[in-house]
Amino acid sequence: MKKILSLVLAVMLVFGIASAALAEEETAKVLKIYAWNDEFKGFFEKYYTVPEGFTVEWIITPSDNGGYQDKLDTDLLNGEQVDMFLAEADYIQKYADSDYTQDITAMGVTDFSNAYEYTVKAASDANGVVKGVSFQCCPSALIYRRSIAKEVLGTDDPAEVQAALDSWEKFEAVADEAKAKGYYMTASFAETYRVFSNNCTSAWVDEENNLQFDAQIEAWIAQTEKFIANEETLTAGIWDQEKNDQMFADGKTMCFFGPAWYFNFCMGNAQDPEKGCSGDWAICQGPAAHFWGGTWLMAPTGTQYADVVADIMNTFINNEEVCTALVAKEAQFSNNKAVNEKFAADPEYGSAFLGGQNDVAVFAGMTDGIKWENHTIYDQLLNEGLQTYMMEYFKGAVDKDTALANFYKHVNEKYPDIVTP
Amino acid sequence: MKNAENTKGRIMLFASRFVVYTILIFLSVLCLFSFYMMIINASRSNAELQGGFTPWFSTHLWDNLQNAWNDASINIPRGMLNSFLIAAACAVLTTYFSALTAYGVHVYDFKLKKFAFYFIMAVMMIPPQVSAVGFIQLCYQFKLTNNYIPLIVPSIAAPVVFFYMKQYLESVLPMEIVEAARIDGSNEFSTFNRIVLPIMKPAIAVQMIFAFVSSWNNYFIPALLLDKADLKTVPIMIAQLRSADYSKFDMGKVYMFIFLAILPVLVVYIILSKSIIRGATAGAVKG
Amino acid sequence: MRKHKGVSYAKWGYIFILPFFVVYILFTLVPQLTTFYNAFFENYRSGLKQIGPNFVGLDNFVKLFTPDKSGNIGMLKYFGNTVILWVLGAVPQIVIALLLAVFFTSYRLNIKGQRFFKTVIYMPNLIMASAFSMLFFTLFSPVGPVNQVLLSSGLTEKAIDFLGIRISVRLLISLMNFLMWFGNTTILLMAGIQGIDQCMFEAAEIDGASSLQTFFRVTLPLLAPILVYTVITAMIGGLQMFDVPQVLTNGKGTPDRTSFTMVMYLNNYLGTSKNYGMAGAISVVLFIVSASLSLVVYRMLSKPYKN
Repeated sequence: MKKILSLVLAVMLVFGIASAALAEEETAKVLKIYAWNDEFKGFFEKYYTVPEGFTVEWIITPSDNGGYQDKLDTDLLNGEQVDMFLAEADYIQKYADSDYTQDITAMGVTDFSNAYEYTVKAASDANGVVKGVSFQCCPSALIYRRSIAKEVLGTDDPAEVQAALDSWEKFEAVADEAKAKGYYMTASFAETYRVFSNNCTSAWVDEENNLQFDAQIEAWIAQTEKFIANEETLTAGIWDQEKNDQMFADGKTMCFFGPAWYFNFCMGNAQDPEKGCSGDWAICQGPAAHFWGGTWLMAPTGTQYADVVADIMNTFINNEEVCTALVAKEAQFSNNKAVNEKFAADPEYGSAFLGGQNDVAVFAGMTDGIKWENHTIYDQLLNEGLQTYMMEYFKGAVDKDTALANFYKHVNEKYPDIVTP
Repeated sequence: MKNAENTKGRIMLFASRFVVYTILIFLSVLCLFSFYMMIINASRSNAELQGGFTPWFSTHLWDNLQNAWNDASINIPRGMLNSFLIAAACAVLTTYFSALTAYGVHVYDFKLKKFAFYFIMAVMMIPPQVSAVGFIQLCYQFKLTNNYIPLIVPSIAAPVVFFYMKQYLESVLPMEIVEAARIDGSNEFSTFNRIVLPIMKPAIAVQMIFAFVSSWNNYFIPALLLDKADLKTVPIMIAQLRSADYSKFDMGKVYMFIFLAILPVLVVYIILSKSIIRGATAGAVKG
Repeated sequence: MRKHKGVSYAKWGYIFILPFFVVYILFTLVPQLTTFYNAFFENYRSGLKQIGPNFVGLDNFVKLFTPDKSGNIGMLKYFGNTVILWVLGAVPQIVIALLLAVFFTSYRLNIKGQRFFKTVIYMPNLIMASAFSMLFFTLFSPVGPVNQVLLSSGLTEKAIDFLGIRISVRLLISLMNFLMWFGNTTILLMAGIQGIDQCMFEAAEIDGASSLQTFFRVTLPLLAPILVYTVITAMIGGLQMFDVPQVLTNGKGTPDRTSFTMVMYLNNYLGTSKNYGMAGAISVVLFIVSASLSLVVYRMLSKPYKN
C-alpha cells in the first residue's frame, strides 16, 4: 500500500513540475480566445497569420449542459484574461448588452459596409454600440425534394416553387395537397419554429419583465396543432433520427428548413451514396426570411491586445481573399456582400447536391429580409424551453395548459426575474 | 439410506445450480448487450449511425480508431494519462485516509468520537451539487484552476467511503488483534499500516475500484477547472468530440473514444478485483 | 468499553481523523455552508448581472412550498417522483445483489466462471452515465431497434414513444440505475461476506445447518453492518438521483415532469441563474429529509444485531 502511495505521490510531483514548466513559457504574448468547438479555430489557423511575437491559446469548453457559458462567465466575472470570445445568436445579447464587452469601433473595426445588417445589429447593445462581428451569415432557406415538389406542385423550378410557397397560407394549402398525395410537409414539429420566431414583432418580455407570447409564436403553435391533427408533419424533434430518416430517397417529406451549413453537413442521409438522393434537392426562400445559427467574435473589456483582436475581426469580414476562401473552400456563406455577389453572379458556380442550383445566389437574395429585432438576454432558454415543453403537448402526453404551466415553471427556475402568467 | 439422501442432496444441488446459472447468464446478457451495442456503434461510420441502428458489425472500426486517434482537437494518449494519474491518486488517497479515519473512530475512545461519527454521517446526506458552484469559486480565489490539486486532494475526505470502512471494521476487526499488537510493542500508526490495512484489503480494493471509476468518469468539475489542452481528461475530450462543429461531427469517433475509455478502467477493475478474496481475515485472526 | 489500563490512546483518535476533517472543512464544508446560508437570501444572476444577496428571511422556503395554480406543490411532486424511481430501481438492486453475493461466496454451489460473471456484472458501471443514456435513447427511440422488433412482430401497430409515457420513462430510468449499480452493490456485499471469519461457516456446516439457515443465522447477522451501509447509501443515492434522468430526459423530466427528481430541481436553479437562494432552500430541505430518513433506517437496522 505504502509503495503505491509513494509511487503516486512521486508521479504527481513530476507532473506538478511539468505543469510549472508549462507556466514558464507563458511570458510570451499570449492571446486567449474562448470557444466551444474547433470550427473557428480551423478557419483562423488556415486564413489568419498571427503577428510576430504572439501565440494563441484556445480555451475550448464544450457547450454540453451550458458548460461553455459557465466557463466564460466565470472567467469574465473573475477578471481573468479573455482577449476574444465566440458567441452564438441565441445568447449573444447576454454579452453584447453587458459591461463585459467593448465598442469595437474604438478598437479599429469601423467598416461594416460589406457586412449584413442583422449580423451587426446582433452584436450591438441597446444603444447601438457594436461589440463584435460575425464571420458568417446564416440565411436559412426552405430545402425541398425536387421529385416530391414535381408531384405535388407540378414543378421543381425554384422560382415557381417559391411562388407557390411564399406565404404561410400558401404553405399550409400546399401541405394539404401534399397530404392528399401521401407526403408530409415537414418532418419535425419544430421545423418551422425559427421561421416564425425570427420575425417576432415583440420581445419575449415587456418592460416590466412580464413574459409575453408574440403573435408569431402563437401562429407557430396554431400551425403545428393543425399540422399534427392533419398528420402533415411528424412529431420528431429537429435533430431526431426519425426526422433524419426522412432524408433518404424513400422519405416522404417535402420540406426542410436550414442554412448552407445544414444541407452541406447535417443532411448526411440525403447524401448517402446508396440510400440517399443527392441532386434531388433545391432551395428557395419559403414563407418568410429568417436565419439560423452563426458565430460571432466578441471583444471583451478585459482584452490586452485590442489591436490584434481588431485585426482578426477586420480580416474575417473585410479581407476579400479570406472571405472568398470561406465561400469557395469551406461551404460558408460569408459575411461580405461583395464577395458573395461575385459567387452569386458566377454562372459556373453551383451545388451538385442541389442539382446544380447556385445556392449563394438564393441566399444573397434573402438577406435583406432578415430581421434582428426584439431580442433579449433570455432568448436561448425561452426558445428551447417552449419547444421542449410544447412537444409533450404535440405528442399528446399532456394538455396544452399543463404544457404551458410546465414551461412557466421552467422559466421561473431558470430566470427568477421573469414574471410568468 | 445414506445413498438416497446423497442422491437427493445432489439433485437439490443440481437444481439450485441450474437456477443460479440461469440468473447469472440472464444478467450477464443484459450487461453485455450494452457493451455489444457500444462496439457495434464504434464500428460504424457517422453516416451509418445517422441512418439508424443495426445489430451487426460494420467495417469502420479501424477508420474510427484512426480518426479518433488523429483528431487534432484532442490527444487521446495524453487524456488517458491525465485521467489515469488523477483517478489513481484519488483511489489511493480516498481509501487510505477513509480507512485511517474509520479506524480512528472505531478503535479509539475520545471525547469527540460520537460527534465525529455523526458529523460525517450527516454530511454524507448533502448532494454534491450543493457545494459545486461554491467549490469552483473557491478554486478561482485560490488560483487553483488548471491544477490537479482540487481534483485530487478533496478525495481524502469522502464520507461514503469512510462509512463503508467503518462498517467493515465493525464486522471484521476483533479488538484482540489491536491489543496483541500493542503488547508486541507496535506503535499505533504502524499497527494500522501493517496489521489493520491487510485485514481491510477486500474493502480497500472495492472502494479503490469505485473511486477510480467515478474519478475517471468525472466531467462536471474538471470541465470548469481545466482549460489547458495538455491537462484535459478523457470525459472532457469526449464532450469536445460530441460538440464538434457540423463539418467535423462524427459519432463514430465518439463511440470509438467511449469504447477506448472503458478499456483502462476494465483492466484496473480486473486487477483490483483479485484482492476481493476469501481468507484475509481468517489468517490474521488465527495468527 | 475499550479503555486500556494506564495508557490513553485518545490522542491517536484525533490524529487519525485529522486529515479527513481538515480537507473536508477546506474544500467542501465551506461551500456547503455558504449555500445553506444563502437559503435566507435573494441571490442570483440575471445574464451577467448579479442580483442580491438581499436578506429575505424564510421567503425562499415559503416559495418552495406554495402550491401552483392547480394546487400542486412542486417540491412534494418531485420528492414523490424521486421515491418512486428509487424504489423501482433500488429494491431489485439490493435483493439481486444480496443473492448474487451469496451465490458467489457459497462453497456448496462452487460457481464456475466466477471471474467472468463478476467482471461482466460490474461492467455497466464503467460506462459514463451520459454514454449509457445515449445508448438507451437510440434503443428506445420511435425508430429504434426495440420499436422495429415490436412493429415487425406485429405486437404493436404504431411505434411506441417510450420516452413520452410516464410508466415507461420511469421503468427505463430504474432499469438503467439497476444495471449500473447492482454489480457495484454485489461487490460491496461480497467483500463484506469475504470478511466474515471462515470458521463461522465451517462451524455451521459441521452443525448441519442448511443453506437457508446459514444465510439467515450466520451470513445476515454478520453482514448486518455492511447491509446497513448498502441500504443507507442506496437511499441517499436514490434521494440524490440525478444523472440518469437528467441525461435521458434532457433535464426536463418528461413527460409532465413525472421523472423530474429533487436534485434535477436543485440543478435547474443552480444552472443558468446561479440562484443560490432557492438552491440553498432546496438543499436545506433535502438535507433534513435524508438525514431523518437515514437516522431512522440506521437505528432500525443496527439495533437488532447489536447485543
